[in-house]
Amino acid sequence: MAQPTLKSLLGKRSETTAWLQSWTDFEKLGIVVEDYQNNVLFGFPLTGEQQKYPVTLDADISGWVSGEANAEMIARLLSLMLQKEAEKKKLGSEVLNLYQELNVIYNFSEKLTETIDPDVIAQITLEQAIHSIPSHSGVIVLWDEGNRQLRIPAMSGELLFNEERLLKSSDILLKIGLSGQSEIITDISLLKEKGIIENEVQSLIYAAMKVKHRIMGAIILAGKNAEKYSAAHLKLLVTLALQSSTAIESAMLYEKNIREVREREEAILRIHEVTKKFVPIEFILALGKESLTDVLLGDQVEKIVTVLFTDIRDFTSLSEKMTPEENFHFVSSFNAQLGPIIRENRGFINQYLGDSIMALFPESPEDALKAGIAMQKAVYELNLRRQSNGLPPIKAGIGMHTGPLIMGITGDEHRLDAATISDTVNTAARIESLTKYYRSPLLLSSETLRHINDTKKYQLRQLGKVQLKGKYNLLNIIECIDGNPEEDQQKKKKTLPHFNEAMGLYLDQRFEHAVQVYKNIMVTDEEDYTAQFFMDKALQYLRNGVPENWTGAEEMLNK
Amino acid sequence: MEQKILIVDDEAHIRMLIEQTLEELEDEGVEFLTAENGEIALDIIQKENPQLVFLDVMMPKMNGMEVCRRVKKELGMDNVFIVLLTAKGQETDRQKGQDVGADVYMTKPFDPEVILDKARQVLGIS
Repeated sequence: MAQPTLKSLLGKRSETTAWLQSWTDFEKLGIVVEDYQNNVLFGFPLTGEQQKYPVTLDADISGWVSGEANAEMIARLLSLMLQKEAEKKKLGSEVLNLYQELNVIYNFSEKLTETIDPDVIAQITLEQAIHSIPSHSGVIVLWDEGNRQLRIPAMSGELLFNEERLLKSSDILLKIGLSGQSEIITDISLLKEKGIIENEVQSLIYAAMKVKHRIMGAIILAGKNAEKYSAAHLKLLVTLALQSSTAIESAMLYEKNIREVREREEAILRIHEVTKKFVPIEFILALGKESLTDVLLGDQVEKIVTVLFTDIRDFTSLSEKMTPEENFHFVSSFNAQLGPIIRENRGFINQYLGDSIMALFPESPEDALKAGIAMQKAVYELNLRRQSNGLPPIKAGIGMHTGPLIMGITGDEHRLDAATISDTVNTAARIESLTKYYRSPLLLSSETLRHINDTKKYQLRQLGKVQLKGKYNLLNIIECIDGNPEEDQQKKKKTLPHFNEAMGLYLDQRFEHAVQVYKNIMVTDEEDYTAQFFMDKALQYLRNGVPENWTGAEEMLNK
Repeated sequence: MEQKILIVDDEAHIRMLIEQTLEELEDEGVEFLTAENGEIALDIIQKENPQLVFLDVMMPKMNGMEVCRRVKKELGMDNVFIVLLTAKGQETDRQKGQDVGADVYMTKPFDPEVILDKARQVLGIS
């Protein structure tokens, strides 16, 4: 702070000048006031040697008064006025300091409201502290309650602190900031010995960061100048530390809350993901609901769908050779192969029934047929791998039927299940079981075929008719051979006209002729077990005669 | 030419604070003038033609906006650099300040460093 000068006291517009002027005019005094460099500030230079009287401020000479009588008195008066002016300035300077401090705290509070990140708050605090309390370096050390260790969220300025040693020296820090004290450290030799601070550090100041009585950490500032920090600095640092502590505490609480909410959300999401696997989302969507939590007991919808059943042939004899664990593993890996094929063709698995899968295709029956073909191909590929491992091949039967189906939520208030209720399901299951009977891997009903626009894309063989149990309608059964191995497909393609001819003869009860054609077919393709089946049937009718009212239909067997 | 700064505020401690903030400019030969209301301020501006005026907005007799408008719009004293000072948060006043021709609009509590920098810049003192 600059001291007031005689020049400023005797400015053009100053009251002192006006007063001095009128007084000297009135008394007709020849008075000269000069500053300490002998520049004239008031009056005109006098001739001759005059007695000079000093104007002083705190023992320093500010200037001189010379002239006639009263010069000494005027000098003393001016000294007194300078003194008053100096006091006024000092007071003003103190007020300004207080104002600046207030301004710092005001701005600091404002900055703290801009973030909810604890480390950013620490950084802001440190920057503010170093700016307001001139220092060469600063660090904030926080005690991490969760990990039971110290951490440094903010470090700034020159590298006067050794981060690593600081973190390891909780015992020393406990004596300073972590004890809850705040002070200016005069004896810093111990900290230097331990290598926590550099040798250049001359002064150190710290303030504890705490909320209520809980110590969170400390903010430490270091300076390279010998001049020590003042009490005012300490007061300001304590204020900053306390404000920062509250902000960091709130930010950490906020972070914790957010984290907990997110964890809960993730848990719910995981449950949701899992439930989707147990109850197909397609099922829920079909009910017009968005999530499993929306469905109610009694919700139901009726749709025309294609129901597809798969089954592993001779699973019982296959499974007898395996331990229960191997068995489960085998079925699981088999299902894992077929699941994606169903989804790729816009279908979904409604239920796993042991070694059997029940899938629904709500969009188009052709989806089901495509899936069936792809699944048979997958089974043959699986068999190639099994063969090279010395394992027996697997055979799977696939059957499908299209018709109305009710999907709904059944059960009681304590136990709900997504259920399908339909004759279509039973029929599809029975068609699947016909694959054993006809020794054909892939069968569809005429109802499914009827809904497929371009049937020429597929290689289909008309098999017999079946009488659904308890129904009068006859259902034509069609075999699709597109999923068979290439070689087998070629042979069946070749014999297809003959096969159709034979089936015509068979249904016309011209069994003798039919047997001839079937025989011919089996010369070309001795593995055509379906032809074999019908030939045996024809031979049987030739031997035992045809039942009355024979329609060519097989009685639909129970599954 | 002698450089002058006029500080206008009805609160004595604010006048003192600004004067104290700018104290070091006194050594550069800058003279400080003060006024405690709008009327006195307008009178001093016309007589002394200061280079820079720190002008409080909320004052008795004549408010800062009106003083600014008269100086800039009626008297056409474009060479007087006027810094309007007002309480924080009255952001709508900022537009009014521009409309009456204020050069800079600052909010209280002001940052002493900003005030000093602005004064140095306007007076061309580095």
